[in-house]
Amino acid sequence: MSGKFDIVGLVRKVIFSDFARGLAITLKYNVSRSITLKYPDDEKWVPYVRFRGAHTLNRDPSGKELCVACELCAKACPTKCITVIPEEDDTGRGIADRVAKVWKVDLVRCMFCGFCEDACPTRAIRLGREYELACTDISSTVRFKDALLKPQPIHEGIAGGVVAKARFEKTEAGIRVVADTGIIKKRAL
Amino acid sequence: MEKALLKNYGNAETHKIDVYIAGGGYVALASAMKMQSDQIIQLVKDSGLRGRGGAGFPTGLKWSFIPKDPTIPKFLCCNADEGEPGTFKDRGIIDFDPHLLIEGMIIASFAFGASKSYIYIRGEFAFGAKRLETAIKEAYQKGFLGKNILGSGFAHDMYVHRGFGAYICGEETALLESIEGWRAQPRKKPPFPALSGLYGKPTVINNVETLSCIPAIISRGAKWFSSIGPEKSPGPKIFGVSGHVKKPGLYELPMGTTIRELIFDHCGGMSSDRPLKAVIPGGVSAPMLNANDLDTKLDFDSLASKGSMLGSGAVIVMDSSTCMVKTAYIINRFFSHESCGKCTPCRDGTPWLTKVLKRLEHGEGRIGDVELLERLCSNIFGRTFCPLGDGAVMALRGFIKNFREEFQYHVDNKKCKAA
Amino acid sequence: MVTVKINGKEITVADNTLILEAARDAGCEVPTFCYQADLMGLGSCRMCLVEIEGQKKLQPSCITPVLHGMSILTDSSTVTAARAGVLEFLLANHAMDCPVCDKAGECELQDMVYKYGPAKGAHAETKFKFHEKDYVLSPVIIKNSNRCVQCTKCVRVCREVVGVGVLGSVGRGDHQEETSFLKGLLDCDQDGNCIEVCPVGCFMRLPYRYKARQWDLKSADTVCPYCATGCRMVIEERDGVVVRARAQHGVGVNSETLCSRGRFGFDFIGNAERLTTPLVRKDGVLVPSTWEEAVAVIKENLSAFEGSRIGGVASPRLTNEELYLFQKLFREVLGSPNVDSSARWDSSGVEAFIKAAGMNEGGVSVFDCMDSDAVFIIGSQVSEENPVTDYIIRRISSGRRMNLVIASPRAMKLDSSAQTVVRHNPATEGALLKAIILTLNENKLSVSAGINAIKETKLTDCVASSGVSLEVIKRIADGLKNAESISILVGTEFLRFPEGIDGLDLLKDVCRKSLGKKLRILPLLDRCNQRGAWEMGVHPGFGTGYRAIAGRGMGTHAMLEAATRRGLDAMYVAGVDIASMYPDAGHAREALSALKFLVVQDMFLTDTTRLADVVLPSSAFAEKDGAFTNQEGRVQTIARLKNPPGKAKRDGDIIRAIGQSFERSFGPDNASLVFDEIRREAEMYKEVSLVFNNKRNIDNKLDNKEALVKASSALARGFSAWNGGAPSSEETGDYPFTLMTGNHLFHSGALSSNSASLSGLLRAAVVEISNEDADEMGVKSGSLVRVKGMTHESDMKVIVRRGSKKGVAFIAENFADTPVNRFFSRGRSGARVSITRLG
Repeated sequence: MSGKFDIVGLVRKVIFSDFARGLAITLKYNVSRSITLKYPDDEKWVPYVRFRGAHTLNRDPSGKELCVACELCAKACPTKCITVIPEEDDTGRGIADRVAKVWKVDLVRCMFCGFCEDACPTRAIRLGREYELACTDISSTVRFKDALLKPQPIHEGIAGGVVAKARFEKTEAGIRVVADTGIIKKRAL
Repeated sequence: MEKALLKNYGNAETHKIDVYIAGGGYVALASAMKMQSDQIIQLVKDSGLRGRGGAGFPTGLKWSFIPKDPTIPKFLCCNADEGEPGTFKDRGIIDFDPHLLIEGMIIASFAFGASKSYIYIRGEFAFGAKRLETAIKEAYQKGFLGKNILGSGFAHDMYVHRGFGAYICGEETALLESIEGWRAQPRKKPPFPALSGLYGKPTVINNVETLSCIPAIISRGAKWFSSIGPEKSPGPKIFGVSGHVKKPGLYELPMGTTIRELIFDHCGGMSSDRPLKAVIPGGVSAPMLNANDLDTKLDFDSLASKGSMLGSGAVIVMDSSTCMVKTAYIINRFFSHESCGKCTPCRDGTPWLTKVLKRLEHGEGRIGDVELLERLCSNIFGRTFCPLGDGAVMALRGFIKNFREEFQYHVDNKKCKAA
Repeated sequence: MVTVKINGKEITVADNTLILEAARDAGCEVPTFCYQADLMGLGSCRMCLVEIEGQKKLQPSCITPVLHGMSILTDSSTVTAARAGVLEFLLANHAMDCPVCDKAGECELQDMVYKYGPAKGAHAETKFKFHEKDYVLSPVIIKNSNRCVQCTKCVRVCREVVGVGVLGSVGRGDHQEETSFLKGLLDCDQDGNCIEVCPVGCFMRLPYRYKARQWDLKSADTVCPYCATGCRMVIEERDGVVVRARAQHGVGVNSETLCSRGRFGFDFIGNAERLTTPLVRKDGVLVPSTWEEAVAVIKENLSAFEGSRIGGVASPRLTNEELYLFQKLFREVLGSPNVDSSARWDSSGVEAFIKAAGMNEGGVSVFDCMDSDAVFIIGSQVSEENPVTDYIIRRISSGRRMNLVIASPRAMKLDSSAQTVVRHNPATEGALLKAIILTLNENKLSVSAGINAIKETKLTDCVASSGVSLEVIKRIADGLKNAESISILVGTEFLRFPEGIDGLDLLKDVCRKSLGKKLRILPLLDRCNQRGAWEMGVHPGFGTGYRAIAGRGMGTHAMLEAATRRGLDAMYVAGVDIASMYPDAGHAREALSALKFLVVQDMFLTDTTRLADVVLPSSAFAEKDGAFTNQEGRVQTIARLKNPPGKAKRDGDIIRAIGQSFERSFGPDNASLVFDEIRREAEMYKEVSLVFNNKRNIDNKLDNKEALVKASSALARGFSAWNGGAPSSEETGDYPFTLMTGNHLFHSGALSSNSASLSGLLRAAVVEISNEDADEMGVKSGSLVRVKGMTHESDMKVIVRRGSKKGVAFIAENFADTPVNRFFSRGRSGARVSITRLG
């Protein structure tokens, strides 16, 4: 302050105006809508369709596996986390007689870049909207075809970008948080 | 003009050797046997006879390419695989005057020293093949064929080889492959058949009509022949007229007759009062001409200058009720069906053209289809192994050039303009 | 020589060079589908179109020869546009199922479209489909015609190289399909050369179907482990399983060709029945053990016996290094001279064969042989024993005029290429050769010692016993007389029936010394390293490099004989199944059982291993480094691709471990050091180059002469000529057929019966007879017959071979359920059988 007496500053200090202004912000948030998700007890974030979460393998409308085990995803993968071993099966399991005997992804190595999605010629592989990948058992991070082929809990048709009502569900793998897409609320970020 | 080629056309008796001889047959052979072989070739050269199969290559020149070495066996093949839609001229000769052809072939064989000759006739010409076989048998009996022909010491054998109905067999090297028993697909050239043809030996391949001109040239002289028609492509020519004319059929006329003369003077004009729309002057692979080009002379050079060709001389006349897209589709379907499968542009290009044309014809045209057709044509033209693919493309290009708006109408309105 | 300009660059090439080759020489790239240097030019794919200045149309460079002064453009805009156009047409009806196609990743069409193709295809019509599903052409070939680009390389390779002509084009235009009659391969060699030449995924390997992508595979350059042609190939594995073997164009003597054994027979490597742990006999039962224990047991037992009472037999399928160590172990450590490399052949016959075939004179290239005016193939069923040699002979003989003579009792595929085909009686090669010599000698050649020896022999006797007409023999003799250079290709029949060898030796002398011809002799052998085994000295009569050795040991015959007489205590057998290969099964079994101690080292549990006291699991060719010497004397290296399964070890390591248990310093320690020692020991190998250039060898094409062994001056003086008896003539009454044996086209020794693919082609033994006999008996191919010999009888299917000698029956030697060696018995040359129709 270069020695000059600051009367205005002094008055402010005396009447705690800065303090009041600070409190005002706190008070404002006190009455505004909460941005904290009550996750996992009450709410769960449903990501947008473009979200890149854990892998899923799709089927065509008639239920045939779309994957033809061309191994292009494995080739495109920068972290080499996908392993595909093809086999012949003309029983109608897949859309072609070439199907995956083994389709394995190591989610710990995956960096969710989505190159595999881009490489897939049949749109069989998608990075889904599952993001709860934390676990205590490293072996559960390697996912196989059978698990990946299960339908997604959140249907592709749901645009996402909303918060849904959450509930707990006990499964063999542990307790999971399930979003109830029937009860959703839009929430600006 | 006195007819030289079709003089016996329609006559029920002339296929018999006695009738033929009585009409002055095999006289030319006898006089040819007294000549030197070089003399005959020179005579044919002087006459200006050009191949009647389509390409119009000078026949005498072709014969002179054959090596003179008497130790090498040589062959003559007569191309009677008349497969071009609209063409039926050779059949007229084979059915009614087989001895004319045989006589021509013996003279030609004598000229360049062929020991054997083959008549490659298409499988569908069962009647003609039978007549030829009988005629050859008769000629053997009379001593015109066999060991010592007319006491000249010249030995010659002649065989009829029946094809199984593939257009590609009309291509000379594919015809050779077929005679040898292989799959009829064209051979690479060079070596040309004149050096390495049938069984790897020097071979001449001539059309039926070309060979049938030989006896007349021998007996009446080269001057007579070259005086008929234009200087560059002289001689009588058989035109097979079909389509919307009053009197379709075979007409032997001098080269250089105009299309108008042919249709209106000889064929009695159009079959209905609908105006003429287009003329294909030389079999379906020749690009078409429209009504403005009726005064074009029918000879090799005049038609070439109009961007078309004389081809086999099969004139197809179409009146205004004809849908050009449908015609193009049908013609193209023929070519794609007949493509031998050897080279890529023809094998995969012509079916593609057909598919697009079929779509157009059925009112399923897409915007840009005409341009697509043109692009495909330029991708095929000049890149195929043999002229089949080129022929298909030339025909289609002719259609598009003359009647582009009709194609465009099909694209835009999904229906035909002519109907 | 003509000079042409290619893209402005002047280049001088030989007359009649194709534009394509000239352009490639000049370093200009010209893409092709239908062109292949070894096959007939076709010019159909139109990918190689180039622009020649002054010519309106583009010209196919693969069939157009250069003319002097031509100016050629290979990458002008017209040419590029034409290529793009052609590729667009090819893709128009192409199935475009690359994600499913096994060829994806190494597909020529993919590569070319990527490089030269149009940016965008305009084809939007429905595609023509030949069929919905791939169809199986044969147990090893599956086909998808929808992917075909109609280059017809498959048809041409089938007709021109393989010589069977099973494939052809069916249909016309875009419906043209390259397939076989009724879409089944009736009379095919099943060699899959059509697969190899196919630029797209039209012909595919059935065993490799949907196994991997090309980029998953780890590969190693190796040599085929079956016959001694020595085909270079590449084997590829995924996750420790060898999934594919393929040949490369322009690499090795074989170039792109392989036979069915080479291309599909590698799968014995991954057979689940491989031995994975050492077995030691305890209380009469073989139980799994450790290497330490097994080696200790071997040392304990072997040291108990005197060296001369121990015998060793090593497989001619081991590498040179391993074979060298094997004989070193016996000669230097165990002090035993008894080593041999084959259970099938007599060791003195082998010695005589080596001498007669002049194998000590250095390597002889098959290409040099085919350069001769006359080629005489005798004693070999080359089309079946050495199929790729057959391809080489066919390909070269069709391209140039030569007098090819084939003498064999059985008809073979190569007969169609021969000018003279001789059908002689079995085991009468010697009589035939003597008849030829006597005919040559008619005008009194300068008499050499050999001819004196057969002075007594009557031409008529020879002619009669060989069963060939005098006229044919005269024709052959004339052919030999008129030729400047002669090559004789001699096969394994001489080793089965060594009586003929002196005839060969004599013919060699007559041709060289009396007639003054340039003569080459190429042995045609049926085990990949048979020549190497001999040259490493795995033979009782000579040492490494055919060097003379001090004391002569026992060969397999003598060892087994001694064992039954208790004159041999122990044997160490490395990779040979004596019990099922020795031509007298009962005797071999008895002898092996009589031994006090038997060590067998093998990949599989064979009849011999079942008799062993210690079984050592060994490894396959894909699991080791080393070198094979093929029949020409070409030394070629094999590289390791994977590790042996379980506790199995490489043969070299096993031999070394046993040696080191006796002597700590036994070595050298690794394959390359062993080879250095071989170079020092054997003069023939001193300058052999092992450098293998995995690229097309332009200078001398496929013929890498650096790898041929050199001549050895050290041919043991003691090399004996065959001194066995003449073939015993027996009553033929009850047994009208002479039984021959050898390799089948799909099988060769014990290896192939462990290959699932090859067993799929032919599982059970068949007996092959001539069409004349078949007509007499009223049987057809596939009929069931009973083959009865003096010692054994068996039921099997019959195969009729058109044109074989009457009275000859053939059963291949390797079928476990029909061991042909049971028909043979010692002391009798050949076996006679009767064949009766069943049902």
